[in-house]
Amino acid sequence: MRSLFRGRFLVPALLLVSVGLFGLLVFSPSASSATSATSTANTGSSGAGLKANSGQFPETPGFSSSPNQSPSGDGIYNVSLPQSFIAPGQALFAANCASCHGGDAAGTDRAPNLQSLGAGTVDFWVSTGRMPLANSSIQAARKQPRFNNLQSLEISAYVQSLAPGGVKVPVVNLSNANVGNGFRLFTLNCAACHTITGAGDALADGAYAPSLHYATTRQIVEAVRSGPGNMPHFGPGNISNAEVRDITAYVHSYIQHPINRGGFGLGGIGPVGEGFVGLLIGVGALMLVCFWIGDRT
Amino acid sequence: MIDQSVRWLDDRLGIAKGGRTMLDKIFPDHWSFMLGEIALYSFVVLIATGVFLSLYYIPSAHEVVYHGSYLPLRGQRVSEAYSSTVGLSFDVKSGLLIRQTHHWAADVFLGSIAVHMARIFFTGAFRKPRELNWIVGVTMLMLGIVNGFLGYSLPDDLVSGTGIRIAYSIIESVPLVGSYLGFFLFGGNYPGNGIIIPRFFLLHVLILPVIIGGLIAVHLGLLVKQKHTQFPGKGKTEDNVVGTPMFPTFIAKTTGFMFMTSAVLLLLGGLAQINPIWQFGQYEPYQISYAVQPDWYMGWLDGALRIMPSWEWVGWGHTLPLEVFLPAVVFPGLTFGFFWGWPHIEKRFTKDVATHNLLDRPRDRPKRTAFGAAMLMFYFMLFAASSTDVMANFFNVSLNVVLWTFRVIVFVIPIITYFVTYQICNEMRAAEGIGKRKRAMVVSRSDTGAYSTVTAEPRPGDDAHELDAIPVPTYINLTPEELETGPGVRRVMR
Amino acid sequence: MSDESTVQPTAPLPVAALDDPHQLPYAKHPGRAQAVAVVAMIIGILGCIGFGITYWVSDQTQWQAVTLGVGLLGLGFGVTAWGKYLMARGPFVEERHPFNSSDEEVKEMTAAITQRGGIVVARRKLLGGLFAIGSLAFGVVAAFPLIRSLGPKPGRALFVTNWRRNAQLVTVDGRPVHKNDLEVGGVLTVFPRGFAGSSPDQTILLRIEELGPEDPPLSLASPGRSDWTALGYVAYSKMCTHLGCPVGLYQEQTVELVCPCHQSIFNVLAGAVPEFGPAPRPLPQLPIKVQNGFLVAQDGYNQPIGPGFWERP
Repeated sequence: MRSLFRGRFLVPALLLVSVGLFGLLVFSPSASSATSATSTANTGSSGAGLKANSGQFPETPGFSSSPNQSPSGDGIYNVSLPQSFIAPGQALFAANCASCHGGDAAGTDRAPNLQSLGAGTVDFWVSTGRMPLANSSIQAARKQPRFNNLQSLEISAYVQSLAPGGVKVPVVNLSNANVGNGFRLFTLNCAACHTITGAGDALADGAYAPSLHYATTRQIVEAVRSGPGNMPHFGPGNISNAEVRDITAYVHSYIQHPINRGGFGLGGIGPVGEGFVGLLIGVGALMLVCFWIGDRT
Repeated sequence: MIDQSVRWLDDRLGIAKGGRTMLDKIFPDHWSFMLGEIALYSFVVLIATGVFLSLYYIPSAHEVVYHGSYLPLRGQRVSEAYSSTVGLSFDVKSGLLIRQTHHWAADVFLGSIAVHMARIFFTGAFRKPRELNWIVGVTMLMLGIVNGFLGYSLPDDLVSGTGIRIAYSIIESVPLVGSYLGFFLFGGNYPGNGIIIPRFFLLHVLILPVIIGGLIAVHLGLLVKQKHTQFPGKGKTEDNVVGTPMFPTFIAKTTGFMFMTSAVLLLLGGLAQINPIWQFGQYEPYQISYAVQPDWYMGWLDGALRIMPSWEWVGWGHTLPLEVFLPAVVFPGLTFGFFWGWPHIEKRFTKDVATHNLLDRPRDRPKRTAFGAAMLMFYFMLFAASSTDVMANFFNVSLNVVLWTFRVIVFVIPIITYFVTYQICNEMRAAEGIGKRKRAMVVSRSDTGAYSTVTAEPRPGDDAHELDAIPVPTYINLTPEELETGPGVRRVMR
Repeated sequence: MSDESTVQPTAPLPVAALDDPHQLPYAKHPGRAQAVAVVAMIIGILGCIGFGITYWVSDQTQWQAVTLGVGLLGLGFGVTAWGKYLMARGPFVEERHPFNSSDEEVKEMTAAITQRGGIVVARRKLLGGLFAIGSLAFGVVAAFPLIRSLGPKPGRALFVTNWRRNAQLVTVDGRPVHKNDLEVGGVLTVFPRGFAGSSPDQTILLRIEELGPEDPPLSLASPGRSDWTALGYVAYSKMCTHLGCPVGLYQEQTVELVCPCHQSIFNVLAGAVPEFGPAPRPLPQLPIKVQNGFLVAQDGYNQPIGPGFWERP
C-alpha cells in the first residue's frame, strides 16, 4: 500500500481515472433516463385469441395527463380463458401442483384451497415463478417461472373451471392511461408498502413487500385485484378498472424506468445510501486529496 | 502598480505592517489540518449554489397547477415550493446540477465537520487556550445540522414532508409548552396554515447562514490570533510554528484545494443522483412512503426514535410522551451539552490547565482516544438504526429481530470499541516506531554457516522517511529458569 | 491520567528566510513537476471551455458536471501542485509570543471594572436597580410579539376532529363509500364529507373477514365496541400515535397495521393495540355503521388522535 504513495502524482491521477470510470458508468445505457422504446416486458401473445398488448410508453402521443379527461374504455379487459386450455391445464396441475394443493385444488394441510380464487390469481402466482414453491418460508419469492405464458394460462383456466368467481385474467391496454392520475393513486395506495420508488421493503412478521421492477402489466393488475399474501385486495369498488390501468401505466413506466436525470440512481433506497456515498466518496476523496497535499509526519 | 496600491491602502488603513505579518504567517503542513478547509470550501459552494437556487425557488405552500416537463405531475395541483423545485430540476438549464451540488455539498459539509471535530478531539487541540474555538465549532455543527434539515424540507416533497410531521410531533411532546410551540411555529394544527414553508426558507437562506458565517469568521479569527497547533517533531516546540508561509505557498495550496473541493462536489452533483423529488410527489399529510429516512446527519435522531421503547407517562390529567421526548429532545440536548462542555469535563479528569500548542498523538492518550472512538461508534450505531426496515429487507430477517439487535448493540458495541481501542493504543505506544518504514537489514551467511547482518543502503530519496533498522537478534537471551522444559522435551543448546 | 504525551527535546531547525530568492523548491525534479502542473491546468482550461460548450449545446446534467468538474479539478490540481512542489521548501518558523498580559495588567483591568464601575453603581444604586428592572421588563415583553404573534393557541383543536355523528365516509376525491366498495381484505383512506384531504381527520378503513351469525364477536381491546364495526368494516385513525405519520401499511393476512416511519405494529383485531415498536397507544377507533347503503360515522373519536402532548388526559 505504501508503494502507492511513492509516486506522488499517482494518487491524484488515480482520482481522475476513477472519476472518469464513474462517469462512464453513468453514461452506460442501463442507467440513463427513460427511453421511448415500447416495452416488451409483457410476455408475447400465445395464440388462441389473446392479445397481450402492453401498450405504448408514456412519451408517445395518445397518453393523456389531464386528470379530468375521461378516456374511452378503461383499458382492462377481463377475459374468460378458452375451454381448450382446461385439459392441458389439468395435466400440468396434476403433475406440479396437486401434490400440495390436492387434485381438485381444494387444499391440503400443506397448501390452501385455490377454488374460486380465479384464473387471474393463479396466473399471478405461476407466471411470477412464486409457484411451484421452492422452499416453504414465510413468503413465497418471485423466481424464474417454471412455466411459460401459455402453460400458466392453462393452469389458470383449469383452476377457474373448478369453481366460479375470483379474479379474471386481464388484458391490459395502456394507450389511454393517465400517468398523472396513476402517480397520485400509487402514492396513496401502494407507496406505504412498496415505497414511493417501488423498491419494496420488509414488513412485519417476516413478510415483505416485493420490488415492483420486474412485474409485467398483467401481473400488476392481477396482484392489485387478487391481493396475494399480505397485500390487501383492491376490488373495482375501491380502485376502478380505469384507475388500475392508470396505476399500471405509472408502475410500468416511471417506476420500472425511473427518470434518473440526476445521474446514477444509487438504488433508490433513500438518504441512507446517499449518506454513505457522500461520506465515503465525497469526504473520502477529499481526505485523500488532503493526504496528498499535506505532510504525513 | 502594486507599490502604489499598497501605499494607497496604507495611507488610509495602515495595513502595511499588519499585512506583512499576515503574509508571513506560518501554517503547519500536516494533512489532518486541512479537514476544516473541506468544511470551509463546502460552505462556500453551499453559498454559491444556494444563491442560484434562491433565484428560482418559490417559498410558498400555495397550490398551483404544475405545467412543467415532468409528465406524471402535469396538471396536478402541487404547492409552489414543490412546483418550483421540480421546475428547477427539469426546466432550468444547469438547475439540476446546481441543486444536486448544493445537496451533496451539505452532506459533505457536515461530514467534514464531523471528521474535523474528531481530529481536534483526538489530538487534544481543544485544550487551553482553544476551548472557545471548540465551542464555536460545536455550535456550527449544531446549526449546520438544523440548516440542513430546513433545506431539504423546502421542496415540500413526500419524503421531507414526513420529516416535518415528525418534527412537529417532537415539538408537541415538550411538556407544558409543546402544543403551544407547535401551533405558534406552524400557524395552527398540523399542517398549519402553510406559513411553515416561508419560515423555513427565511431561516435556511438568511438567519442561519448569517450566524454560521459570523461564527466561521470568529473561528478563523481565533485561529489567526492563537496560531495553529502542530504535532511534536523535529524543530517544533510549544513556542513556535513550523510550516509554510501564507503567501505565496499556502494561498496557492488552499486555493487549489478550494477548486478541487468544488470539483468533487460538482462531480457528485452531476453524476450521483440525490433527492429525486419528482419521484416522490407532493407532500400530503395523509400519504406516506415506506423506507424513508432523514439525511445522514439526522439519522442518529431517527435511530434513537426507532429503538426507544414505547414508554409514555400518563397521570394527573397530563401526558408526557417519553418515547418521543427522551430520544428527540433530551438526548440531543445532552449530546450537544456534552460536546460543548468537553474541554471542561476533560480538565476535571486530567487536572491539566497548562497551555498546549503541541498536539497529542492519539495513541499517547489511550483513554481519551478510546472514549472518543466509543462515542463515535455509539452515534454510528444510532445512525445505522435509522434504516432498520431496509436492513431487515436486505438481510432477510424480521423487523423484530433487527430492532432488538439494535437495542442491544447500540450499547454493547461502543463498550467493546472502548476496550479494543484502548488496547490498540497501548500496543502502538509500546512498539518502537510502529507502522513506520524502517531501514532494511541485509542478512548474509558466511561459508562456515554464521549469520551476520548489515544495514542496507537507504533507498534514494527516502532517508527522511525511514527510521533506523531494528537489530536482528543473534542469540537467545534466556535465563536458566526459562530454559526449563517439561517432561519428555529435550532442549538442544547450540 | 498517567498517559502524558512526551515531547522529545528538539534540535533547532535551520531557519529559512521568507524572502530568500535562493530557496529550493520541494520537488526533486522541478521541471517534471511543472510539466504535470501545466498539463493539469490545460486540462482544466479545456474542461471549463467544455462546460461552456455543453451548456449551450445541451442540458445534459452529467456532461455539465464532468466538464466543469474536470475543469476545476485540473485547475485546482495545477495550482496546488505549484504550491506544493514548486514553491520554496522551507522549513519556515514563526515564533509564538504569549498574548496574555502580565499579572499586573490583568489586575489593573479587573480593578478598572470593579472599582470604577463599583463606585458608580454604589453611588447611584437606585438608577442601577431601575435600569436592571427595566431591561428585564423589556426582555420579557419583547418575547411576546416574537413568540406569541407567530400563531394561534391550540385551544381545543388537538382534542377534536371533524368527525361527527352521521358524518359520511368519503374518499380523498370526495366519493362516498358504499358498503360494497371494499372487498374483504381491502383498505381505503377516508375522511368526513366536506373535509376530504384534511390531515387530522385522516382515517383508515379496513374490511376484515365478515362474521357469520354463529361466530364470536370481534375481539376488540375495550368492551362496548362490538357495534363499532359493520359488515366487517372497521375504521381507525390513520395518524400514528407515535409521531403522526400516516399508518398506511396494511398486512391483510396477519391483520396488522404497520406504521412505515418507525415500524410500530398495530393489531387490528384487538383495537389497533400496538404490539411492537415505539408507538405508545392504540390507534383511536372510529365507530361506523351502514346508513342507506353507505358508511357513516356513529360519532367522533372518543379521544384525541395522533401523538401525545402535555394536555392530553
